[in-house]
Amino acid sequence: MRNGLFQDIQTTLLVTQKDLLDFWKAKMLVAFFMIMPILFMSMFGFMFPQTGESNPFSGKVSTPYKNAPIGIVLEDQGPFALQVADQFREMSSSTGLFKVQDFASFESAREQIVSGNLKGVVVIPVGFTEAFNSQRQATVIITVDDTNPQIASIIYSEATSIFKAISDGLSVSLIAKMDNGVDPSFVSKPISVENRDLIAGTANTFQFLAPGFIALTAVMGVLSGLGAAISREKEQGTMDGLMVAPVSRYSIVVGKILAQTVRGLIQGFMILIISMFLFGVRVYGNPLLMMLVMLLGVASFSGIGIIVTSMAAEQETAQMMMMMLQFPMMFLCGIVFPIEQLPNWLQAVGKLLPLYYAADALRKIMVLNASFSQVFLDIGVLGIYSVVTMGMAMPIFRKVMRR
Amino acid sequence: MGEKKAVIVTENLTKRFKDFTAVDHINLEVMEGEIFGFLGPNGAGKSTAIRMLTTLSEPSEGTAKIEGYDIRHQSDEVRKRIGLVAEKLILYPRLTAVENLMFFGQLYGLNGTYLRQRIDDLVKMVRLEAFKNMPIGGYSSGMRQRINIMRGLLHNPDILFLDEPTALLDPQSIQFVHDLIRELNEAGKTIILTTHIMEEADQLSSTIGIIDHGKMIAVDTPAELKSKNGSESLLEVFLKLTGRDLRDSASNRVPMGMMRGPA
Repeated sequence: MRNGLFQDIQTTLLVTQKDLLDFWKAKMLVAFFMIMPILFMSMFGFMFPQTGESNPFSGKVSTPYKNAPIGIVLEDQGPFALQVADQFREMSSSTGLFKVQDFASFESAREQIVSGNLKGVVVIPVGFTEAFNSQRQATVIITVDDTNPQIASIIYSEATSIFKAISDGLSVSLIAKMDNGVDPSFVSKPISVENRDLIAGTANTFQFLAPGFIALTAVMGVLSGLGAAISREKEQGTMDGLMVAPVSRYSIVVGKILAQTVRGLIQGFMILIISMFLFGVRVYGNPLLMMLVMLLGVASFSGIGIIVTSMAAEQETAQMMMMMLQFPMMFLCGIVFPIEQLPNWLQAVGKLLPLYYAADALRKIMVLNASFSQVFLDIGVLGIYSVVTMGMAMPIFRKVMRR
Repeated sequence: MGEKKAVIVTENLTKRFKDFTAVDHINLEVMEGEIFGFLGPNGAGKSTAIRMLTTLSEPSEGTAKIEGYDIRHQSDEVRKRIGLVAEKLILYPRLTAVENLMFFGQLYGLNGTYLRQRIDDLVKMVRLEAFKNMPIGGYSSGMRQRINIMRGLLHNPDILFLDEPTALLDPQSIQFVHDLIRELNEAGKTIILTTHIMEEADQLSSTIGIIDHGKMIAVDTPAELKSKNGSESLLEVFLKLTGRDLRDSASNRVPMGMMRGPA
């Protein structure tokens, strides 16, 4: 009989091989395993299309929401009001941002917003032309559909950008008329702002999403797969066959973790390939460092998975418990949107979860080509989580299996 | 012929679940080479006792030795020497018979040509050569149980625990398993057999132990049990010793989640 560490490693690999073979033989399961990341990424990828430069005058669209229907109400029929309204319509059309419709009154436009036919309305109020002629600041009023705050924010921001551009243009022409020899562009805008990208190429929203999804998929794979694997063995009786064999309990568990890790990494890799070829995501960083982060991320959740499933009597209970853990993580750990958008207290909760650090490190490596030292904190946290949770999980597993 | 030794010795073996005592200070000896029939009503503590003896469950009190090795402190040595054929099949339904046996054989440190040959021999013994590369999920219950027994024998253990080995089998399969048990015993294996089928216990066992409410209430040969209790059938002896009441009360039920086999 074999002894010691060598035997443990062999047992681990044997259990891993058996689990992967068992999985491979479930053809329907394998099919869904392959389809799931494709569907998942396609859905999110087409929901968050690629963006161009953020400039409404360049002709490149900077918003994922094109040709938004927006109303315009001219309460002031003065020449300045008419001029500004014309400019707004022209810029909206040339940039493809808005589809502008005229309305006689704010109330009639409001009705259309409530009906869902308009996303906002621009009102040029009475006194607009008079204010301009009196050399006072003239104000336009923008009202947006608040039922969707994200869209509302985009509409408001883009409409404001158009009016800012119109206002800047007017500044230049007004200053030119003063004829004091000063460059009107300089007076109007003494400071300009230029964007310098950290990464080559155009900004891509999916560049933010892809690392998070890769981390999430690998982790979810381990959590749900490991839970199901252990619970299924308990239910079908084969766990007794493993436990009655003269092998280390730890090697059995590590073998199962390894099998689930391989599955998670395969799905993570599929997501990476889909992201790269379908949605233009580029990997600027070290693949080995990425792999290290993924492995630590998986290890940190394996311990949690073992603790939870050791306590679940049935597979169904284990799966429910895993879902309860996985679902909030998507929203708390900066996977779908930046964690900074959450209230402070929820951000603090998110930062307690290892997935946050895995996604954060992957993002920095993939997008910013971060080095080991630059993601050391993330890796360190994942390492500590791995050691602590696995350290807690093994004795619990052993104790529960020998009840 | 040498004197036979006790290969299983229990000393006040006890198992409690919170305030319920499933096995209550059992003192038992199973001699080498015998077939020990372990009988008891539902909830009596049979499976709990078996789980402790096979190191699947930690005793609350007392201990047991299997071929001189303590189940608590030398569990790996115990595991090398025992084979378990539980009522729930210890087989992966998507894997073939060969794949299952290869996996479990390797867990016991067997490999290479020896393991392949051993698998071939065992599969031949149970007349399943033609089906050895089919997934177990496609087998009949009799076929699965035959492979299940072979799985327990892969590492050639001296002691075999058979928990309800003929439950749900057809008569032909039952006969086959009985013949197999006799053959294994004649080859020197010690067999601990739990069953609800009195005829099976009567026919196969050299010694019968009856457990009820966690305590051993009788240990003797089938003939002596019948003689001492003035009955001609083991069933009558069993009912006389354990009563005729149905075992549905709470005191006979093991808490959910604590058991992985029949009570």
